Amino acid sequence: MSTAIEIDGLTKVYKDVRALDGVDLIVPEGSVFGFLGPNGAGKTTALRILTGMARPTEGSARVFGHDVVHATNDVRSLVGYLPDVPAYYPWMTAEEYLRFAGRLFGVPREVLDERVTSLLDMAGLAGVKQRVGGFSRGMKQRLGVAQALINAPRLLMLDEPTSALDPMGRKDVLDMIAALRGRTTVFFSTHILTDVERVCDTVAILDHGRVVRQASIGEIKREGHATRLLIEVEEGAELLEQALAGQAWVRECVRNGQAVRCVIEDVAAARRAVPALVARLDLALVRMMDEEPTLEDVFVQLVGRGV
Amino acid sequence: MRGLGVLLGKEFTEILRTWRLFVVPGILIFFGISSPILAELTPQLLSSMSGLADQGVVIEIPPATTADAYLQFNKNAMQIALIAVIIATAGAIAGERSSGTAQIVLAKPVSRTAMVAAKALSNWGLILVAVAVASLLCAGVTALIFDTDLLPEFAGVVGLWYVLAMFLVALTLFFSAALGSNAGAAGAGIAVYFTLTIGSLWETVREFTPVGLLGAGDRIIMGTTDVPVVWPVITGLAGAFALVGLAAVAFGRKEL
Repeated sequence: MSTAIEIDGLTKVYKDVRALDGVDLIVPEGSVFGFLGPNGAGKTTALRILTGMARPTEGSARVFGHDVVHATNDVRSLVGYLPDVPAYYPWMTAEEYLRFAGRLFGVPREVLDERVTSLLDMAGLAGVKQRVGGFSRGMKQRLGVAQALINAPRLLMLDEPTSALDPMGRKDVLDMIAALRGRTTVFFSTHILTDVERVCDTVAILDHGRVVRQASIGEIKREGHATRLLIEVEEGAELLEQALAGQAWVRECVRNGQAVRCVIEDVAAARRAVPALVARLDLALVRMMDEEPTLEDVFVQLVGRGV
Repeated sequence: MRGLGVLLGKEFTEILRTWRLFVVPGILIFFGISSPILAELTPQLLSSMSGLADQGVVIEIPPATTADAYLQFNKNAMQIALIAVIIATAGAIAGERSSGTAQIVLAKPVSRTAMVAAKALSNWGLILVAVAVASLLCAGVTALIFDTDLLPEFAGVVGLWYVLAMFLVALTLFFSAALGSNAGAAGAGIAVYFTLTIGSLWETVREFTPVGLLGAGDRIIMGTTDVPVVWPVITGLAGAFALVGLAAVAFGRKEL
């Protein structure tokens, strides 16, 4: 598989702040790639460098083999971009803005007519005659995705496309992104873990300007060090909870009805000890199962705090 | 300069749909119509306001002439209209940066030079049409009140004003790109304008630089025949294009 984005040792320094600190990243073509990190991790800075809005202090970034610093127009012709807070000319309508954006890409008129109609439809803005200045945040965000697709890009870069949207707005934008799977590469920055889990197949976790992990979502979850264990008994879960809480291999326990959910430090020790513990307490074991760590568990492990 | 045509089309549409259509053109057209009327009324106003006639003092104010009408227009255009031009141009690039509209446009295969050039050309075009309409109205009202004398001189004076306006638009665009602030660009533009006004006191500076455009119009209307305008026009135009180039360089260096 070819590479859509290749970032090598990318560093960006603003006075005393290292916004990016030697970032290495590979985005395979065709993937829906989540660029995940807490606010201030450097996601927007990386996207600004990739789109030619900012220059790197050190390192390089290539989009489909083109250096983003020197071949800016070659790169931009292949890319659709939605900034974190998209701003439009308030006197234009959505259709006018899409036509304007299409003409900047040199899209032929007949193709543009067809594309504007389908993108307005996709963005739920067909027939909206209101000027963009009066649009809600959600409408602006959907228009942002639509304008980023006007050139049928090989790479779509979206900076926090769902932040500050209400649940329906988020769902609309995520549905639009999910619908692009297999048609274009999507590079999608966010701090919302559930969005990444929902639409992305690969993820890179950025923290303090460094990529701390890059892998497929499944791979990252499988590598989660702490495992959750669910132990359910017929009755007497309070006794079980007290007994588990005293074990060295248990980090924490939470009881819910007759089930006790534990975060385990040593999975092998837990699997050997739990049946014996249940038997010693004279309890009837209903089920004992591993629970897959969520992306948030892994994120907290890697970054050291929640988002 | 990829994207120039599309950006220029957007600029002209924006002019037609926003306040930009009314500010500088409105001011120029107002002065075009009002200047001859004001010139005609000024002697009568001065006579009625002096209050000395009751004390037996007679002040003779000569009747207004065609030249007074054109001088009035030139004075207003040289001061208020040029300051309005500077203020209206100040946000051209800084505003696109601060609002974020430049970021989304320049992520497309468009050069920053094209964006600056579109701003310059659209502003120059708007002012050209506005001053042409305003000066035609001024000449028409002057013909109705006075006569049709001095028309070629007036046309030349309007041309000199336009070259100065082009220079100041380019200068303000440069400040807008380099400073990144609407207020900063307007302030710097007005400061340079007043510095040019002071510079017009020196004959050598007047003779060879755009500063010479400031007072040349009045002298031409008043009948001075050897007003040096060739070098001020050449350096004014060259300076305008050079400043647009510098604005493009300054904008190209900015991160968005």
